[in-house]
Amino acid sequence: MAHLLTSGPVAAQHMIRMRLAIMRNSLRGDNAANLYAGVSGGLLLAFGTIAVAVLWPAYLPLTLAVWLSGWIFGPIFIGGGSEALRPEYFSMLPATPGRITTALLAGASAGPAPAVNLIALLSLPVYGWRFGPAGVLIGLAAALTTLITMVMVSRVIVALIGLFVRSRVTAAAVGIVTGTAIALCSNGWAPVAALGGTDTAAWSQILVRVLPSGWGVAAIEAPWPLALAVLAANAGVIALLLAAWAGLLARRVVSAARGGVPSRRGTPRPFPTTGGARIAAAKELRAWWRDLVRIQLLATAFSYAIVTPLLLLALDAWIMVPFTGLIAIVMAAASSANLYGADGTALWLTLMTPGAERADVRGRQLAWLLVVGPAAALLSLAGTRVSGQAWAWPWVLGLLPALLGGGAGLIVLLAVTSLVPGTDPHKRGGNPLSTGADETAETSLAWLVLVAVPATALPAAGVILLNPWAGIITGVLTGALSAWGLGRIAYRRLESHGIDLLNLMKHGPAPQADKPTTADLPIQHRIGVTMSYAIAWLPLFPQGLVPMVMKILGIEDRGWFLALHLPPVWQWPTIIFMIALGLLMYGYAILIPMRLSSPSPAATR
Amino acid sequence: MPTHREPALRTIGLRKAFGDHLAVDDIHLTVPAGSFYGLVGPNGAGKTTTLAMAVGLLRPDAGSAEIFGVDVWRDTVQAKGLIGVLPDGNAMPERLTGREVLTYLGLLRGLQPAVVAERADELLQILELGSAERTLVIEYSTGMRKKIGLAVALLHAPRLLVLDEPFEAVDPVSAATIRTILRRFAANGGSVIISSHVMALVEQLCDHVGVISDGRVVAAGPLADVRGAGSLEDAFVDLVGARTGGTEGLAWLTS
Repeated sequence: MAHLLTSGPVAAQHMIRMRLAIMRNSLRGDNAANLYAGVSGGLLLAFGTIAVAVLWPAYLPLTLAVWLSGWIFGPIFIGGGSEALRPEYFSMLPATPGRITTALLAGASAGPAPAVNLIALLSLPVYGWRFGPAGVLIGLAAALTTLITMVMVSRVIVALIGLFVRSRVTAAAVGIVTGTAIALCSNGWAPVAALGGTDTAAWSQILVRVLPSGWGVAAIEAPWPLALAVLAANAGVIALLLAAWAGLLARRVVSAARGGVPSRRGTPRPFPTTGGARIAAAKELRAWWRDLVRIQLLATAFSYAIVTPLLLLALDAWIMVPFTGLIAIVMAAASSANLYGADGTALWLTLMTPGAERADVRGRQLAWLLVVGPAAALLSLAGTRVSGQAWAWPWVLGLLPALLGGGAGLIVLLAVTSLVPGTDPHKRGGNPLSTGADETAETSLAWLVLVAVPATALPAAGVILLNPWAGIITGVLTGALSAWGLGRIAYRRLESHGIDLLNLMKHGPAPQADKPTTADLPIQHRIGVTMSYAIAWLPLFPQGLVPMVMKILGIEDRGWFLALHLPPVWQWPTIIFMIALGLLMYGYAILIPMRLSSPSPAATR
Repeated sequence: MPTHREPALRTIGLRKAFGDHLAVDDIHLTVPAGSFYGLVGPNGAGKTTTLAMAVGLLRPDAGSAEIFGVDVWRDTVQAKGLIGVLPDGNAMPERLTGREVLTYLGLLRGLQPAVVAERADELLQILELGSAERTLVIEYSTGMRKKIGLAVALLHAPRLLVLDEPFEAVDPVSAATIRTILRRFAANGGSVIISSHVMALVEQLCDHVGVISDGRVVAAGPLADVRGAGSLEDAFVDLVGARTGGTEGLAWLTS
């Protein structure tokens, strides 16, 4: 053939360049800030992992298992992972799926997340230090293989979701797994404690080494030949994952999947012949039933709400069971906070229909209440009754209407005030669970709801403390008031700012001339700011705050903490110098871009 | 009070910049009532941006737009009652079927249920979308999306139709149907604005033409005045100051 793709390594290079170019081009304004924040947070965790390897080596496999679970559940939580390089882009290249997949893997590894994870995995050679130079060597090799394995596991899961979530059942299944996983993360300690605390140490130690994240530790601890065998086996697993990914991607790019449409039987139920909010609710209810993203998010919310109290039953603690329905309301509100963003530019129809904004907002509230309300009420009543926690009745009865109303009000208000633009549904690619929205922004919106919805129930909670029956009435009143009032603000806002929302979704955020980004800085400052963000944590945390804590607590282990290796007289000055240096670098990185936005940009040159 | 003698659409000094790029720069257009108006221009000339600002889907940086004398940005609700719009590339309620979309939007506009049902039936049948009764809009082909968009624009029997590239990706048979529908609409007093870069089509359908290039109006008026003695295509190439390329370079392709 005359037009074969360039050789493998060259293709990988091109893919990495493309990935970096995409990242560079998206590094503007808020995106850059999000990235820096994410990388800084990630670096903190990465350093924390190295600290674990130094201070509490027994917990290193467990810590690495947490990183692995991040790679597994991250893509599910944030809707399919951010695929900067989508396989669809390369579907017309004359090359085998295997070659394209290998190149895509190279591209996928050239992001901030793998880089941060690699730093975390440097905990392996640090751990290997205890076993001599060979341990360091094996640790280094294992860090690489573990990183590739984690990236591959994540990609294969994304590919599996993209290919097999094509029905309500599979979407709900992914949701239930996700919800259970979140519940285990928050309350998984309960069954572990119930199973006998320290007795479980032995099997849990084996478990965390059997996971792919623990193979590196296992190899370091093993004798030479076995260590090499483990590493070789890991390489084999990578090859298998790569082959699986290639197969999945090859199927994905030729399957005409569009945004995940479940199959239907029979003719659709006729629309109710009514107008206003009720017809909008009828439309919205159909969207809840026909959109796999919504089904998955609902399943996540409800499974989390049900599993979390159940885990505590292992300790015979029934205290959370009455509140199952309330947890479900808050979680369901959090996953419904981007209603307008999820529908994309279809908003133009509402805007072009005279007076439809009010009907649309009220209809969405009504539909959400119909979807979440009955199930939440049932869970609350059944949970309180079954648990036999009689004291909980006023709380459940008072908070249920307060939270339902608060949720119904807040989701529409946030949907119009904090809209996160995504890809229009009909342009979404091979992943049915991805809305294409900026996950960082969507996640922070969800967190906002998680805080704000319970806040709307505070008045009811306060009154319940004073007088249970008055509390129930307060709950009903504040709930109705929140749903009515916040919804009113929402549709007023939609009437006045609907056009801006539409254009935000169509063209992205308007460029603000008066808000320069890091990319506009003079080059020496740009390098300085980036470097500061990248390494300021080093003096501040590992060389500053951590030795400070260790000195205060009187921990003897010197590790790699410079200050602790110095004569006692110099230890405190060194620690203080390191902390000051770290703060200074962060200050520089934050203040220099801010100075640029002051009226006289010449000042920074 | 708007009368029938007011132009169907008048834009006064519309201007829109995206970042540093001035997409639309001081556009003045008058579309007489009852005319079939073609808005033509090269790719990226600002046709879609102009139409979006004229119907109230994009807030202009400067200038205003009137529909039958009603200011689009002051009396938005009244203006929107007068027009049917087919915007380019905007989403629809993706998880409804074509009939559900029409029913939903018709009822939301306050039409009687019986009227909505009858009109939806007729539109789906004429535009040949009736057979796709169980298909959600998200599964529609590009041509089907255009047709359901056109049905939405027609549903409430507006006085002015603003259609952005209505014939793009539509098959020849459906295109002929749409042409017939639009001609009937115009013949009975309705006003139509279409944007297109197919000159032959504009020449065949329209009685008025506006030519936009680089965000500015370079010619506007009755078709005969704009095209002069030659074809509209010749006049267009002349007006936008472009010479047709393609004869130079690319030696590797033709050798």
